[in-house]
Amino acid sequence: MKRKMHTPFIIVLFIIGFMLAMQYNTVKNPQQRDTRDLWDIRRELSLEKQRHSELLANIQQLNSTISKYENMDNDSPDRILRETVQGLKQEAGLTAITSPGLVLRVDASPEAKVLGQAVPNISPDLLVKLVNDINRFKGNAVVIDRKRIVQTTAIRDINGQTTVNSLAVRTPPFMITIGTSTLADANKLASYLESSSIADDFYLDNLTLSIGKPQKKVTLNGFDQSFHNKFLSETTKGE
Amino acid sequence: MWLPLLGLLLGISLGLLTDVQIPTIYESYLSIAVLAALDTLFGGIRAQLQQVYDDYVFVTGFFFNIALAAGLAFLGVHLGVDLYLAAVFAFGVRLFQNIAIIRRILLSKWNDKKAKQSEKAV
Repeated sequence: MKRKMHTPFIIVLFIIGFMLAMQYNTVKNPQQRDTRDLWDIRRELSLEKQRHSELLANIQQLNSTISKYENMDNDSPDRILRETVQGLKQEAGLTAITSPGLVLRVDASPEAKVLGQAVPNISPDLLVKLVNDINRFKGNAVVIDRKRIVQTTAIRDINGQTTVNSLAVRTPPFMITIGTSTLADANKLASYLESSSIADDFYLDNLTLSIGKPQKKVTLNGFDQSFHNKFLSETTKGE
Repeated sequence: MWLPLLGLLLGISLGLLTDVQIPTIYESYLSIAVLAALDTLFGGIRAQLQQVYDDYVFVTGFFFNIALAAGLAFLGVHLGVDLYLAAVFAFGVRLFQNIAIIRRILLSKWNDKKAKQSEKAV
């Protein structure tokens, strides 16, 4: 008799326990408080919007490629494929391009020259910082001392020599050429570099960075080595 | 005696382990349902001690009270009146009454036991 009476109690207590646990889960749920203020949120929103518009531009470009493929004549697939390959090569930095841009000149500082100090090599860290600054600000393509910067480029120290793409960078003076999409971008980049602290960093290393006038046409040579790709492989024909 | 507590522990651990969460807007319904469930539970314990316990009354009371409380809260939200306060008040008062009765019954039982023991000793 007593055992029979227990059953509803067990069920009811089970349900109560479950509800209490659920309530506990729900109440403690936001463990981290959202402490962002209005401007943080606005900044994040603007970043997301920027990404949105970039994605939209990408989609548009891909759509136009698709429609090109769809509309092509019977005899022109070859041409369009070649165009695509050419476009991809250009994007990867394999071809020489001519675009608006500006030329930077790295030289030894006058003090070092006057005092007769040895002209120092540029350090990889400084070069990386400069490239990062350029990339952050709409620099499309960069050539350092005739060595094109591509996705796989490493700027590093090899036996005391600063190298780009495993090729040594000359002792200053040498040129850095930057390609941008438009002349306006080149102007903006020039004023950004002039106002940034990068020139001070060069000066600390006994170097000077002179920023040339933005030009309508600068020529950037392509990446002349071969890409080593670890992840993609060619499939055999006919499959 | 221990079996119902085992049920409670089982329910709590199941709830915590599965990490079930309900949307914040339904939180008030759940809290009032918990209150109703507790009220029924203590009512059941009191009835058992008073020897008027009935399975059907207990089980139907449990579910009916929960449904009524949640329904009242729902109605209150839609009418713009805090009707759930009525349920909280009713259940709260009954909870206190039931616990008071349970306490008194247990006290009187304990007193009886003590009196019997002292009689035996004499």
